[in-house]
Amino acid sequence: MEHPSEQLKSIRDLDPVIEAYKKDIDRTLIRENLRLTVTERFQQLMKLQRFAEELRQAGRKVTLPK
Amino acid sequence: MTDYDTLIPLLVENDIEFIIVGGAAATAHGSSRLTLDLDIVYSRKQGNIARIVKALTPLKPYLRGAPIGLPFEWRVETLNKGLNFTLITTLGALDLLGEIVGGGDYEKLHTETIKIEIAGVQCECISLQNLIKVKRAAGRPKDLEVIAELEQILDETRKEN
Repeated sequence: MEHPSEQLKSIRDLDPVIEAYKKDIDRTLIRENLRLTVTERFQQLMKLQRFAEELRQAGRKVTLPK
Repeated sequence: MTDYDTLIPLLVENDIEFIIVGGAAATAHGSSRLTLDLDIVYSRKQGNIARIVKALTPLKPYLRGAPIGLPFEWRVETLNKGLNFTLITTLGALDLLGEIVGGGDYEKLHTETIKIEIAGVQCECISLQNLIKVKRAAGRPKDLEVIAELEQILDETRKEN
């Protein structure tokens, strides 16, 4: 099992990667979401899931051999 | 699609002790990332396990991704023998977790949750700070971008308050 100090070191090793990702995060989207209620956030997620499924189905139709 | 508006009230109305974690918890805190399931950490108390089995039976739970026809029986004994179950139900994908890396079990997580309201019911959700801690402890490459977003959300919420 990993020694706790080793575990902490490996967590700290992640920080530069996390910081690099932060530069590309759209804060305006976060602010928009924070204005919504929790219920509205889940309704938005369900819409996104439906859209992702539609895209998957459309992709399958395009790539399936005739 | 996972029907959160029906699934979460069903759990609450059946007096199930659970905490929302994972991607759904990130959504509750304001994440805009797509997640496809509902991850919950559930209490392993016998009464709670019995209530979970009873509440979910009409949803025909089955092991997600497993071939059809496996001898999987949705019973109290099944839950007692296992810990974490990745399920598909008629309301969508549901992960029942007995414990999570960096967060522990229901009793341990219970001390660091917030109450949220969804679809007219109140339930427990892992706090944003604890969600970040758990994701960091898990250290999975796929979570790094999620952690970055969650830390930005924390930053934004601190600015608001």
